[in-house]
Amino acid sequence: MEIFDRTNIDTTPQDEELDLLDLTPELAQKRRSQGRIILDRFLRNRTATAGAIFLILMVLLCFIGPIVTGHNHPDDVNVAAPFSGPSLQFPLGADDVGRDLLARALAGGQISLLVGLSSMLVSVTLGTLIGAFAGYYGGIIDNILMRTTDTVLAIPLYLLLFVLSASFTNGSPATIIPLIAIFGWTTSARLIRGEFLALKEREFVRAAQTVGARSFRVMFRHILPNAVGPIVVNATLLVGGNIILESILSYFGFGIKIPIPSWGNMVSDGQGFFDVDPKLVFVPGLLIFFTVLSCNLVGDGLRDALDPHMTER
Amino acid sequence: MGQYIMRRLLQAIPLLFLISVLMFTLIHLLPGGPEAIYDNPELDAAGKAAIRASLGLDQPLPVQYFKWLTNSLTGNFGNSFATGEQVSSVLAEHLPATLELFLTAFVLALILAITLGTFSAVRQGKMADYAITTITYFSISMPIFLLGLFMQDIFGVTLHWLPTSGTVTVGYTFSPFDTFLDHFLHLLMPMIVLSVSFTARWSRYLRAGMLEVTKQDYMRTGKAKGVAPAPLLIRHALRNAVIPLITIVAIDFGAVAGGAVITEGIFAWPGMGNLFLDSLNKRDFPVLLATLVLSATLVVVFNLVADILYAVMDPRIRYS
Repeated sequence: MEIFDRTNIDTTPQDEELDLLDLTPELAQKRRSQGRIILDRFLRNRTATAGAIFLILMVLLCFIGPIVTGHNHPDDVNVAAPFSGPSLQFPLGADDVGRDLLARALAGGQISLLVGLSSMLVSVTLGTLIGAFAGYYGGIIDNILMRTTDTVLAIPLYLLLFVLSASFTNGSPATIIPLIAIFGWTTSARLIRGEFLALKEREFVRAAQTVGARSFRVMFRHILPNAVGPIVVNATLLVGGNIILESILSYFGFGIKIPIPSWGNMVSDGQGFFDVDPKLVFVPGLLIFFTVLSCNLVGDGLRDALDPHMTER
Repeated sequence: MGQYIMRRLLQAIPLLFLISVLMFTLIHLLPGGPEAIYDNPELDAAGKAAIRASLGLDQPLPVQYFKWLTNSLTGNFGNSFATGEQVSSVLAEHLPATLELFLTAFVLALILAITLGTFSAVRQGKMADYAITTITYFSISMPIFLLGLFMQDIFGVTLHWLPTSGTVTVGYTFSPFDTFLDHFLHLLMPMIVLSVSFTARWSRYLRAGMLEVTKQDYMRTGKAKGVAPAPLLIRHALRNAVIPLITIVAIDFGAVAGGAVITEGIFAWPGMGNLFLDSLNKRDFPVLLATLVLSATLVVVFNLVADILYAVMDPRIRYS
């Protein structure tokens, strides 16, 4: 009725919007996409951001390494006096056979980072496939897949790694990557299976099935995008873990073998010369530590940023 | 409960069987074999074959496996290829060193973890909590072999405060007290290195558990009733927060009981982990297989113990 249309306030559309903004500015926020929201939350976490910056720097340095180190090639022996200290030409000095330590560290970083990232990708892909099938279909497929996962999980990690690497690897990164990937997939598979089990009961899955979507489509087009959060967090933490695994393997002589540099075998080489030149151990060792620390920080930051239960600040 | 235990035990047996088959296959896939270790250039193919035959390696694999299985079920794990002595006595020689190392590390880690975790939870948000959380975070990210190496290098090689490897200083005979002290000094670094990784993980767990438990209503009731803060914390909060921690401890116990390979390798500690590395390099199949199967069995057993403990300590699980 007309009587209810009359108000005391002169509410033209423009004024309405202005009033709203003045009275309650926090309600009238600019709309952000989901990705933007997550990014903002991540960036607000200072330690996670620091970790991310370190990682990006590390990756850039290692892969643009040759430009940074100039003409110094990591395998050129005797370009500098052995154990020499830092100088303009050799920012980190030289190792026991006169190789440029900085060039070697960056080349080792290339290998270690490559192994860490690639094995993570393989693990996550394998784990996603297995977890998705086990979680979605359930029943006997779930049973078989989880029993296999449990069997692999039951074997002590390093023992299995060492035995397998003695048999199946030849010291090159290409053989190490699948080896390390074998251990990552178990945790990924369990995680994804859990997510799928939970998401399987939601209405949107029901709806998709009702309109006749095939199982594969439902799994990978509908459920998987919603499970991406924990997968990404797990993947990041897995990179750190894989770098550690690779360095342990290389340290004990089972992984990347000399002359291919990797942070792990650089540590074991430098260990013999510690009393003469401690930086041969500390440079690759600290690089491993800070890289893994950054991966963990980024993973935790992502976990906090992706958490839907955190109230929006 | 008894039914649950029975069921889990029955499930564990085929798992162990599968693991032993897997390990057996893997070992025989290792390149070279015991005869490759006898690096005798005069040894031709016939000689190598003779060595393999004498060690029983010429028979088809399933036959070898079956023989091993029937023997080991009676306790006879065969004889070491390297020394010829009984595998069980080789294991028994190396077991005390492993037990010594990881039991002391465990006790230390448990005490530290409970103390630090509780302290961190009580002082949440303050400087102490921040410091402890940062340190534990760093410790989790630090690979254990790096920590061992750095400590070995700093305290052993540079400062000469502690010995770098082995269990005793050879070539000296000490008085009984000095022998004990010498042994203790050798134990100190590997023990600390091993316990650091545990402490970091467990204290984070306990801290999270304590934070959750102290928010519960019954804690508020206790405080309202007038229970003093310390007994309230220990008798009520800690008791409940410790339950999930104990299961993690049991699982870690199983993982390391077979020998902390990394730590023992770095500090040349003559335990089961070192035995594993040694026998792997020497391709000493019986010893290698025995250590692998023993470690896997311990992992499975202690996972089961963890589940049972959880049910025992938390009545809610039992009656659900």
